Amino acid sequence: MTRTGPAPALAAAIACAALFVAWEIGARLARIDGLPPASQALAQVPAILGDPEALLNIGASLRRMVVGFALGVAVAVPVGLTMGRSRHVAAFFNPLLMVIYPVPKAALMPVIMLWLGVGDASKTLVIFLGVTLPVIYHSYQGSRAVEQKMLWSAAAMGMTAPARLVRIVLPAALPDILAGCRVGLVLALITMVTSEMIARQTGVGNILFNSLDMAQYDTVYATIIIIGALGFALDAAFEWLRGRLVAWAEPAHPILAGTT
Amino acid sequence: MIAIASVTKTFDSGKGRRHLALADISLDIAAGEFVSILGPSGCGKSTLLYIVGGFIPPSTGAVLVKGARVSGPSPDRGPVFQEFALFPWKTVLGNVMYGLERQGVRRAQATARARELIAMVHLGGYESFYPKELSGGMKQRVAIARTLAYGPSILLMDEPFGSLDAHTRTRLQNDLLEIWERDRKTVMFVTHSVEEAVFLSDRIVMMSRSPGRVKDVIAIDLPRPRSRADLLLDRRFQDYVVNIERLMEEPAPEPRR
Repeated sequence: MTRTGPAPALAAAIACAALFVAWEIGARLARIDGLPPASQALAQVPAILGDPEALLNIGASLRRMVVGFALGVAVAVPVGLTMGRSRHVAAFFNPLLMVIYPVPKAALMPVIMLWLGVGDASKTLVIFLGVTLPVIYHSYQGSRAVEQKMLWSAAAMGMTAPARLVRIVLPAALPDILAGCRVGLVLALITMVTSEMIARQTGVGNILFNSLDMAQYDTVYATIIIIGALGFALDAAFEWLRGRLVAWAEPAHPILAGTT
Repeated sequence: MIAIASVTKTFDSGKGRRHLALADISLDIAAGEFVSILGPSGCGKSTLLYIVGGFIPPSTGAVLVKGARVSGPSPDRGPVFQEFALFPWKTVLGNVMYGLERQGVRRAQATARARELIAMVHLGGYESFYPKELSGGMKQRVAIARTLAYGPSILLMDEPFGSLDAHTRTRLQNDLLEIWERDRKTVMFVTHSVEEAVFLSDRIVMMSRSPGRVKDVIAIDLPRPRSRADLLLDRRFQDYVVNIERLMEEPAPEPRR
């Protein structure tokens, strides 16, 4: 399950290149107004990255995303872990989560804007909501799966139930928690962009939808490429960190086994 | 040392039905005694062990340890489980030190003590390995060292060698006896292997199932220290094994519904 050599990186590069080539050919053949060839979109990327205002926008987006993600994880992990160890807590939260899960979080944006305005607070809250559910769910599953005998072994050492939650359940469930965080990270990126689509002011979404309004399709696609690259880089960084944190884990989880 | 007084245990088996797992078990275990609980799977022998450990409460009756009623787990009763139950995020050394650190033993002292125990279970050199890098037999050695580390006077062993191959099992049995000869802790050892029970024990408590009750208690009068190679040739050892196997084959009483 360990990465051997540069093969995956090479495969990713080939896949990206193939996508751009298909896009280039497709766009040139189809000649649709709203679909510039890949080469034109790519040519716009340095222009955006060289523009201080665009960088400020991207920075503002990332700041909200990081804050929303961090708050989401900080709330979701304790909730999920407690749910996994207490049937009563799980019975309380489960129906709530069932109701909230399928609601697209960005759909709540207009309501939240009524409460908190169009600024950072609303957008950060929406990102927070997007992150929380998958992290709660995975933490819950991980916490529930912690071996009873492991907890008993700790109890025999004199560890109280709250101490066991922090010192045994938390590390034992860490592989699942991090799997949830990975999903949460992607969702944070998605809700980040959609929140900016609804409340335009600053951010990557702002660049994207303003240029769409002005029919600057090169910029639209260049922004999409930047968002995609951002997601890829964040995910890769997270995977690197996760690999370090849970190197001790047996690859018992199929999603983890496939990715490490 | 351990007094089990009229312990019963009923479980909810769903749909309002109740399952009687243990029916009126009474048993006394003396200090320093090695007692095996022997019985077919489903006879409640592990449940009995968990009740003595304080991990689950009895439905009626009580367990007294050194005269005090058991109301929960205690470092004086150290469990060793068939599933090892090691902390996978800790190294061998970290696992063995864990209980010591919980008791507030200084780090340097805990490390030294843990290294000693790791050497005693023949795992010297593996201190920095993680559980996933170890074989089943090695994991169980770590688990035994981890439990011995915090100094329980009673060892509660729940089919500890049940998932190991025959060769590893034999070696661990020998090593366990060697360790036990040194400090003569009180051991309650759950197993379904007759040979294992005869080889290790001072007394064997035979249980029958549906519901679990004590069927017979047999004292094993074999000289110690025991060596497996000698015992296998010993007529008395063979007689114990054959007789107990016969007793086990006797039809269990009709299950009560």
